[in-house]
Amino acid sequence: MTDVLVVGGEGAGLRAAIEASDKGARTTLVSKGRIGKSGATMLAGADITLDGKSASKIGLPGNENDSPEKFFRDILIQGYHLNNQKLVEAYVRDASARTKEMIDWGMKYVWDGKRAVISQGIEIDRVLVDQVRKRPITVMEDVYITNLLTQGNTVVGAFGLDIKHGVFVVLRSKAVVIATGGWQRAYSFTSAPEGLTGDLHAAAFRAGADLVNMEMVTFCPNAILWPPAFRGDIFPYLLVEMFGDMLDKHGQPYLREYDQRIFKIATTTEWNKLIFCIASTRVVKSGNGSPGGGTYYSIKAVPSNIIEEGEKLFPGWKWLKTNYSDLIKWLREGNAVEVAPAAHYMESGIRVNEFAATTLKGLYAAGECSGGLFGANRVASAITQILVQGGIAGASAAEHAKKTSLEEPDQEQLRVIEARLVEPFERKTGVRPFELKRKIQRIADNHLWVIRDGAGLKQAVDELESIARNDLPRVAIQAQPRTYSKEWIDFMQVRSLLVVLEASARSALMRKESRGVHYRSDYPETDNNHWLREIVVRQVGGRMTLKPSPVVVTKTRLPRGKFGFEEGILNAVKALGG
Amino acid sequence: MKVCVSRFDPARDKSAHFATYEVPVTERMTVMDALDYVYENMDPSIAYNSHTACHRRACTRCNVIINGKPGLMCHTEIEGDVTVEPLPRFKVIRDLVVEGL
Repeated sequence: MTDVLVVGGEGAGLRAAIEASDKGARTTLVSKGRIGKSGATMLAGADITLDGKSASKIGLPGNENDSPEKFFRDILIQGYHLNNQKLVEAYVRDASARTKEMIDWGMKYVWDGKRAVISQGIEIDRVLVDQVRKRPITVMEDVYITNLLTQGNTVVGAFGLDIKHGVFVVLRSKAVVIATGGWQRAYSFTSAPEGLTGDLHAAAFRAGADLVNMEMVTFCPNAILWPPAFRGDIFPYLLVEMFGDMLDKHGQPYLREYDQRIFKIATTTEWNKLIFCIASTRVVKSGNGSPGGGTYYSIKAVPSNIIEEGEKLFPGWKWLKTNYSDLIKWLREGNAVEVAPAAHYMESGIRVNEFAATTLKGLYAAGECSGGLFGANRVASAITQILVQGGIAGASAAEHAKKTSLEEPDQEQLRVIEARLVEPFERKTGVRPFELKRKIQRIADNHLWVIRDGAGLKQAVDELESIARNDLPRVAIQAQPRTYSKEWIDFMQVRSLLVVLEASARSALMRKESRGVHYRSDYPETDNNHWLREIVVRQVGGRMTLKPSPVVVTKTRLPRGKFGFEEGILNAVKALGG
Repeated sequence: MKVCVSRFDPARDKSAHFATYEVPVTERMTVMDALDYVYENMDPSIAYNSHTACHRRACTRCNVIINGKPGLMCHTEIEGDVTVEPLPRFKVIRDLVVEGL
């Protein structure tokens, strides 16, 4: 029993819990894993972006030529104007206060000279966990929330499994904040931790909340495919900004085929994610990729002293918790490492307004699990996003809780939820949950990758529907112990992934254009005349329905016209003053 | 390759015992890969902490005893027979999963 229940134990969830508690709400923080050790924040590089002028106001060196207005404009250009402008305003407005607070709380950082404070994800988690521990916040760890409890249009709590002990938990609350990160684990190749499976996206959707921009998935290029211990590691992505070549299977540097201006943008600006992903995927699709389905990164042509200069940025060739000196040695011997785009960040998510409120009463969402802030392409920091939106969601939820009384959960609803979750234990034979997980990931890899097309997306929708209809009711869990049951966890993930991936496939199929990270080979142009609209996904009468909806505009008018991929990037970089 | 795993279910067993699985070795596979193979192909009941694994040494939740020494399952590469046990002095929930880690 609590006023505010925060679901999600990393960046946005920690920040939301701190705010809710400071606003006087009895607060419970529930995490699928350990707090500060379960989501994407711990793997972040990590920068906190804020405009240079506001930075100077909080005592950082800053940059007087910058302004909140310029920062706002740049985020819209980077997002191909699909951004919800009210969310961008809140992000720009609160960025400096949230940064200042992290510095005051003891975060180690350096100023990057332009528009960001550079720290590390683990350091950000350390500071936030420390602040949570100082407050009267109840923390529950290793609890997998599977469902939201509702009464009509109002959220009255959450239901889940205590993973280690194999028992269900019912959490009653006046308000719920979802802060559970993305759903990158729908893909087999990702830079994100195992826990990011869209569980609360699915729960919110089933409860009647809107999802938005579900077709928008950022891939991080040049993540390591092999060896297995480094699978999904994005270190080569950082290296290629300094030196080295991206090669096809003939050893040819494929990026050189592009306009020299595009090449320069790819290697010197943050537009690199988009350009590298599309360029390398085109190489693979044309049959010129590596055996593992990627391309190669090589530093063979780089003089030794230039490589040694690069080591100053990563002393001892260490970054975060990993030592890459063996990899560098192997590369210097003339080898090339196989790399590919990895599912990395979700612009997609639960639809919220500037108060972090969803379309359901008492339900809020913050951080990567929410959608709309970054439109069709994120360049500005996701760490700023978790701090700003976490703060807003915590405050809104606490405010709501003050005006609300605790409701009894609907017993019939609880009975149905529980029955669905234990069903697979009762079947003697059937399909194993991990087999369905692999099947779903193959669909995502094949049809919802960097380059999409209508036929593939249609096939994805059909295959996902077939799994939901034919396979899900046949899931059997063979191992009976319910304490830390991997099969049970896989089953819950499958239920979530089916919902988010179907929403993503249907949205990608509906959007008959290319925009930002959503690239369709059958509609390669960005069409501002018809598609400056968000696609909203909602459950109506038990069915998934999609509806294009106007972009939320405050002060920047939406552009018109149609243009191709390269032209779009060149225009954007020009508009950004590059 | 023989993968020897400490198995223990406090609800049923008096003490832990070792179960041995014959796993095909692939180049530079990790302990986590070997256990995934056992889970998917040989024994669905095996329990090891992977539901929020980061695979980047950051979460350290896959810390176990590998051939007598502490190590992370996600980053320890194996070439020959391997023995995997839970960290000592932690209460075992099941197999390699313990309280407090």
